[in-house]
Amino acid sequence: MPIFAAAGPLWRTIDQPVAIKGLVAMAGLLLIAWELWWFLGRHGGGVAARESAAGWQEITITVDGGYAPSRIQVKAGRPLRLSFHRIDPSGCVAQVIFPDFLKTLDLPLDATTSLELPATEAGVYPFHCGMNMVRGVLEVVD
Amino acid sequence: MSSSSPSPSCCHAAEGSAGLADGMERELARERTLLRRKVSVAAVLTGLVVLSSLPHMLGGGHHSFLPPWFTSPWTQLILTTPVLFWCGRDFFTGAISAFRQHSADMNTLVAAGTGIAWLTSLFTTLFPQVLVAEGLPADVYYETAAVILTLVLLGRLLEARARGQTSEAIRRLLQLQPPTARVLRDGQPVEIPVSRVVVGDLVQVRPGDKIPVDGEVIEGSSWVEESMLTGEPTAVSKGVGDAVIGASINRNGSFSFRVNRVGGDTVLAQIVDLVRQAQSSRTQVQRLADQVVGWFVPVVIALAIAAFVVWFLVSGNAVLAMLFLVSVLVIACPCALGLATPTSIMVASGKGAENGLIFRSAEALETAGKVRTIVLDKTGTLTRGQPQVTDFERLPGGALPADTLLALTAAIESRSEHPLAEALVAYSLSHRKEGELPGVEGFEAVAGRGVQGSIAGQRVRVGTPRWFEELGMNVAALKPLVERLEAAACSVAVVVVDGRLEGCFGVADPLKPSSAAAVAALRRLGLQVVMLSGDARRTAEVVAAQVGIERVIAQVRPADKALVVKRLQEQGEGPVAMVGDGINDAPALAQADVGIAMGTGTDVAIAASDITLISGNLAGVPASIELSRAAMANIRQNLVFAFAYNVAGIPLAAGLLFPLTGWLLSPMIAGAAMAFSSVSVVSNALRLRTFRPARLPLPIR
Repeated sequence: MPIFAAAGPLWRTIDQPVAIKGLVAMAGLLLIAWELWWFLGRHGGGVAARESAAGWQEITITVDGGYAPSRIQVKAGRPLRLSFHRIDPSGCVAQVIFPDFLKTLDLPLDATTSLELPATEAGVYPFHCGMNMVRGVLEVVD
Repeated sequence: MSSSSPSPSCCHAAEGSAGLADGMERELARERTLLRRKVSVAAVLTGLVVLSSLPHMLGGGHHSFLPPWFTSPWTQLILTTPVLFWCGRDFFTGAISAFRQHSADMNTLVAAGTGIAWLTSLFTTLFPQVLVAEGLPADVYYETAAVILTLVLLGRLLEARARGQTSEAIRRLLQLQPPTARVLRDGQPVEIPVSRVVVGDLVQVRPGDKIPVDGEVIEGSSWVEESMLTGEPTAVSKGVGDAVIGASINRNGSFSFRVNRVGGDTVLAQIVDLVRQAQSSRTQVQRLADQVVGWFVPVVIALAIAAFVVWFLVSGNAVLAMLFLVSVLVIACPCALGLATPTSIMVASGKGAENGLIFRSAEALETAGKVRTIVLDKTGTLTRGQPQVTDFERLPGGALPADTLLALTAAIESRSEHPLAEALVAYSLSHRKEGELPGVEGFEAVAGRGVQGSIAGQRVRVGTPRWFEELGMNVAALKPLVERLEAAACSVAVVVVDGRLEGCFGVADPLKPSSAAAVAALRRLGLQVVMLSGDARRTAEVVAAQVGIERVIAQVRPADKALVVKRLQEQGEGPVAMVGDGINDAPALAQADVGIAMGTGTDVAIAASDITLISGNLAGVPASIELSRAAMANIRQNLVFAFAYNVAGIPLAAGLLFPLTGWLLSPMIAGAAMAFSSVSVVSNALRLRTFRPARLPLPIR
């Protein structure tokens, strides 16, 4: 196939009944709306970290295509331990980066790696994989 | 590895991160091998599919040389399916798990694009009569799916290879440390792994050895090459009492040193940590790009569906509409956007570390390039920070021999705590004959004037000419000498014994050899250079003239340095960079837009600074500004490329040009373009590896 295929006889126009055209247009619009809601809408609040004895907040995050959970809610003013369990072999998620804390964490495959963060002020702190494609958010609330 | 606070277990942090880096390295290598295998399999199968679909692509009539079973849609189905679902398995599993997480990424686009082409073709293969009834040829597009997938896979392989090179600097740093050390145990030298060396151990270093950890020389002397850590090109002389740093290379002497830092505390480990830290941070530009990337994929999917709907409404041809949908999906490249800044930052901060310039964060790298005014602290930055006696003259009318005069000065000044006293004592001791110093009685320091006391019945005073004038002495004879010394930025100390003017010292803080060249380089970069000093205006101006600085702010108390920086910022002369020694300048460094600390070669972790120059060489200041400018230009190129690429590619793929020119972008070309956009961004970032700071001419002595 050439780089720019000229419109040949194979690319003929077909008269479709108006009903079909309407149906395709409706379906397309619905699909767009649903897709935008699915990917960009807010889906539930963050998962709260549990509290351990020594005042630490702890949570385990499974790395498999994405971060599960990807929205984590913690309390301000208390140290936090995030444990990443990576089961996804893709090299893309082999690193997780917390830009606001200047931390990069290497995640070996099929292992759990922990990151300890000091007590933090309230705010929203995103984190992401080495290529910035897989993303999560740390919500620190008062 | 956790970010633990200092604990006994973190003593092996350097070794730990080296070990971990090795592990990650092996994993990446494994992944690359598997990826290579998949690319080869995909290439062979795709080649066959393309061959099989040739007759259809060429419009029929040429297929006499190929058996009909080979050009059958079923053969193409059998060949294409493993390309998609074995070679491209990761795209589909990645897309599905991302989908479950409500996120969409490059996998989503590739999986959706190739999956739709494959499904449509499968439908045509199974029910060709449906299309024929519509008056359309029952064409299949297996080759489109296979070619896109193979190209994207190839792009991923090239990108993985290139990305491996961006972290090369850290890997090279980690490899600097030798694996073993020669340690004295029970008086016998034993070769042990570096991880077992503890603080207090005695380590022997032979000619040509690498120094394993940090410590202080206690015996022997040598020349040591520290360029890999400090960027200083010349070897440094080391003798008893000097600090040595791990990973530097001993030249031809032998010495022993006592270990004072191991594991994560060593200079090398701190440098590695700081570089990794900078590589984890992000620039302001990147924050913007990040926001775009988050919206990007869902918006592209919406555009692709819209393209399908519009083309279906216009042409009523579902196959044509499907091809537009696939093209839009596969040409969009969020990866190029996502990679644009981090790869440049990775390469630039690594390159900085190689030259002894440690950037604390990506933002430091970003701001350093925009700096317009640079404030240099005089003491310790332009000068050595250690005053030395430059002149000693006996005065007419003096009665004492030089040797006696020096002995008296040394005796009385050794009791003083004035900053200049040390220089006077050092000079007097090294220029007189050996022998006991006489005792001092009734020692007294007169603030801002000098010191006095009695030695063997003689009244000895050492102090400023002004003091003696105040005491009513005739100091007219001193005038020409004092003026000459002050014109050379010297402080003057006069020695008076029993009321007789005996001698006069000129004390100055000598300039570092590279200062003038560095200032000239900064001016060539178009920066306004300001010198800050606590000295009297006249002295400060003399020093400034020697290094070629026109703007001097003198008589600034240490506590007011931050205020001066703030005033410059308020006057709109910013962004302002402040260069200081990092300890007493900390508030000014923090106030400046970019704080640059001059390291001493052994203490890297200077808290307040954005940039640390490990060698303490001022040449590092213009070098870091140049590097920062180069890195920011590189990032801008990457972002412009990535944005322009998507802005131009998506409308083209959506067929906006079709009504005007009759052009259609083949989905396969869209796939190739997507694959190579990321590769070109990473390759552009790798160009930064060729950055070399301009070497400053050394002054002729």
